[in-house]
Amino acid sequence: MIDPRVELLLALADDELIIGHRHSHWTGVAPHIEEDLAFSSISQDEIGHAVVWYRLAAEVAGEQGVRDLATRAPAGGDHADALGLGREPNGYRNAVLVERPNGDWGYSLARHYLYDVAEDVRLTTLAGSSWQAAADATGALRREERYHLLHARTWLDRLANGPLDARIHLADGLVAALVEAPGLFEPLPGEAELVADGVLPDDHATQQQRWLEAVTADLEAVGMDHVLGGDPHHGGGEFLATASGELVARDGARAPSGSGDGGYGGRLGRHSSDFDAVWEEMTGTYRAYPGVRW
Amino acid sequence: MSAATSVTSDDVRAVLDTVPDPEMPPVSVAELGMVTDVRVHGDRVEVDLVPTYSGCPATAVIREETARAIKAMDGVGSVEVRFVNTVVWEPERITPPGRRKLAEFGIAPPGSGQTLLQIGRRPGLGQPGETQGVVCPLCGSRDTVADSPFGPTPCRSSSYCNACRNPFEVIKP
Repeated sequence: MIDPRVELLLALADDELIIGHRHSHWTGVAPHIEEDLAFSSISQDEIGHAVVWYRLAAEVAGEQGVRDLATRAPAGGDHADALGLGREPNGYRNAVLVERPNGDWGYSLARHYLYDVAEDVRLTTLAGSSWQAAADATGALRREERYHLLHARTWLDRLANGPLDARIHLADGLVAALVEAPGLFEPLPGEAELVADGVLPDDHATQQQRWLEAVTADLEAVGMDHVLGGDPHHGGGEFLATASGELVARDGARAPSGSGDGGYGGRLGRHSSDFDAVWEEMTGTYRAYPGVRW
Repeated sequence: MSAATSVTSDDVRAVLDTVPDPEMPPVSVAELGMVTDVRVHGDRVEVDLVPTYSGCPATAVIREETARAIKAMDGVGSVEVRFVNTVVWEPERITPPGRRKLAEFGIAPPGSGQTLLQIGRRPGLGQPGETQGVVCPLCGSRDTVADSPFGPTPCRSSSYCNACRNPFEVIKP
């Protein structure tokens, strides 16, 4: 049985690490140099935030706890590296949404936007945690995250107010990302205990509601709220395509029954096939040279 | 170690004023406002630092350089340097000498007009005619535009000066 606080921190950290890794795929190939810089910088921030949470998780779990989780990590190595790079694929708790490839610019920006609103909601929630160490950690993170939201909202505005082609790409991206975004709020193992102790002042269902209200307000402001019904171009259909081209049932968006349904499963270590590619690449050096220091 | 030598926290702070930031070498970690506490117990020194940004890759180097500099002081037996998050770093922590050195290095320090203009308002993103007004550290003009809210390190953004036609960096508000 893993301490629920470790479950909470791994979910936060793994989301940050994996989306940071995906964002970094724009480095060198973004549409223009300012965006190269933006995605690279956001990526660096997110991976730095993952390290903050991994360190705290390691303090809670202790040496043996880290060892039990990071079965590929050598003894005595850096705990943040061990947790970030030394686990088997099914040991990662990130939401399925963040492991998807970047796809096109529309999907990248849509996911970035939906994710960063979610992050804002959960850091704001954690700032009120009864667990002082977690609440303290949110101070610097929230300060830094302002720029991510500013960037995401600037692009939401820009694409939504752009030519028809930009609106279509954005709408497609939003619909694909919205299908799996509920996975960001999948209940954690031991969530009831976290809420009862005040470690998590509001449960994920409440946080999801707050997130949806913020997203709805933004989308209404730019005249894109029709995507919330899963409808990019006011068309119909029983299935929705995810960024990877997988088809998921329209009504599956909130069914917590494994990877692919509403983006659920990640918090239990169940991932899409897209995670394998991320894991292979991200942990390649660490697996080749166990315990290597950067 | 000489028994007569005893270190004070002021001595330690003076040394911290000479430890350079690896990414902005003219400015010290103390001038950047990274030092939150110094404690001296006999020949043991403890220093608390706060990173400017959580994702700053220079923190490991800063910790090592800081410990090395203090260890080299007469009367110091052991050193512990740790990063804390009970204090949140803000640009306002940068000292007046630090601000002057940043400007000389070509980076607009806090207090150059970025606070009101960058946050809570959509950035110009280089649109013609939209002047951002952050003072150019190179020529002093306010006829400048924001290129990007991001820069070469997490704590800096990128701007361009229409007057002297130079790109420059800005400490993010």
